[in-house]
Amino acid sequence: MNLKDIVQKLDLKVVSGDIDKEISAGYSSDLLSDVIANAQQDNIWITLQIHVNIVAVANLQELAGIILVNGREPEEATLKKAEQENIPILLTELSTFEIVGKLYEMGIHGNR
Amino acid sequence: MDNNKTTTKIQELTYELKVEEVMCTDVETVGPKMPVSQLRDVLYNKRISGVPVVNDNELVGIVSIEDFIKCLEQEEMNALVEDKMTKNIKTLYADEPLVHAIMKFEKYGFGRFPVISRKDKKLVGIITKSDIIKGILKKLESVYHDEEERRYRASHIFNDIIADEVFLKFQYFVEGKNFDKAGEASTGLKKTLYRLGLSPDIIRRAAISTYEAEINIVAYTDGGEITAYIDPHQIKIIITDKGPGIPDVEKALQPGFSTAPGWVRELGFGAGMGLPNIKKFTDKMTLRSTVEKGTHLEIIIKLSDYRIED
Amino acid sequence: MKLIEIKKILEAEVLTGEYNPETEIEIGCSSDLMSEILAFGKPGSILLTSLTNIQVINTANVSDIKVVCFVMGKIPDENIINLARKNDVIVFITKLTTFESCGRLYKNGLKSCSYFDLDK
Repeated sequence: MNLKDIVQKLDLKVVSGDIDKEISAGYSSDLLSDVIANAQQDNIWITLQIHVNIVAVANLQELAGIILVNGREPEEATLKKAEQENIPILLTELSTFEIVGKLYEMGIHGNR
Repeated sequence: MDNNKTTTKIQELTYELKVEEVMCTDVETVGPKMPVSQLRDVLYNKRISGVPVVNDNELVGIVSIEDFIKCLEQEEMNALVEDKMTKNIKTLYADEPLVHAIMKFEKYGFGRFPVISRKDKKLVGIITKSDIIKGILKKLESVYHDEEERRYRASHIFNDIIADEVFLKFQYFVEGKNFDKAGEASTGLKKTLYRLGLSPDIIRRAAISTYEAEINIVAYTDGGEITAYIDPHQIKIIITDKGPGIPDVEKALQPGFSTAPGWVRELGFGAGMGLPNIKKFTDKMTLRSTVEKGTHLEIIIKLSDYRIED
Repeated sequence: MKLIEIKKILEAEVLTGEYNPETEIEIGCSSDLMSEILAFGKPGSILLTSLTNIQVINTANVSDIKVVCFVMGKIPDENIINLARKNDVIVFITKLTTFESCGRLYKNGLKSCSYFDLDK
């Protein structure tokens, strides 16, 4: 599934990065150490963390993009870094549980 | 709503209660060699509709009033119990949860089940549907009674005390940096407020905001105190510590602002939401802090819907 | 959704002993930050988290959350289980990830708590 379709269907607000990307699966976590240990390449990452370190983690794991939940907006430094590194950051007002549920209904599953 | 709650409590009890807690232990039994003619006296005298058959302490069958009537019809009153009893019997273990018994009653439609011990398979009791009902009612009554009595005593305290003004004070001491004990004060306060008969929403708001404050004491200071004052109109909670204090109080109140060290973040806190959460769940919040001296946080939750019971 | 269905969907194990499979859970929420749960968790819901420490149980307790499910095969230590038992919080564990767990439950009809309709 392409990130573009997700953005369109779930009405996500794109604040950085190129969204023409294929997604392998989804990963949801608010602990950076956990994402570093367990997320996989081309995962779409769901989190409420807005700190600049999320961009570094996404870069390191070669994630497809980051969805920030519950109406959160990235810190200024995060946004700047995401633009630099071309990491898509997408915003939603939905909770983690709900946005994950909607992605799942579209056919995106968790890592096995 | 209330109906649902009761059902759930009863269902819970069927998991908590064991068969041995409700069964009848004073079991009438008969031997396998007894003639059916003598069954009448046993069943009639004890007013029971079935009786386990025991040989040398071992359960070998069960014989019911239906078996007796059949023999009566067929004029076989001299037959032995062992030839007329049900041999392939279903039993329950004494330590099984009551819900297993209920399921077996539904499945087989029997009037009673002999209860045996898991260890040596010996007969230890017998259980009927009415034993189950009585057992649940008894337990329900005692659970309800204990908590209600506590709640009644506590919630009437404002009525029972004669004074122009009354308030209750509860104090909790919080250890700094000890994450294993963090939460004890706020969960203790929660239980206390419940016993005072406050509404669930009020209790929840007070518990959540006190808990966030308690986490702050543990994460940032070497310890502090939580004191709750309750009067008929409001809950006032004062949270104090002896430092290090907050350099910029205004900034600390902004959602997302945090100075939390890594260990606090890895424990699931320190995302700059504690103080905003406290503000959100309380009616009034006052924060004063002096660097190196300490922080004084005062929160108020109004009890507009607090009814003093007659 | 009945607790027994949730258990099946998550392929979960129960660590707190006997529980009532008929208990109705209406709402799911997930976060690894407890302040987030304190802010928007709803009474009577299930919390899915990969964080395993005693504060998850305290958070559930003060927020009136009935069930905590630890994900990714993380096994909470004995202190956590004991505190949960003491406070009538039911503890599940599942090998699934947070994403897979939330996805399955949502697809099967469990509702979400919204951040923007706080009941205060």
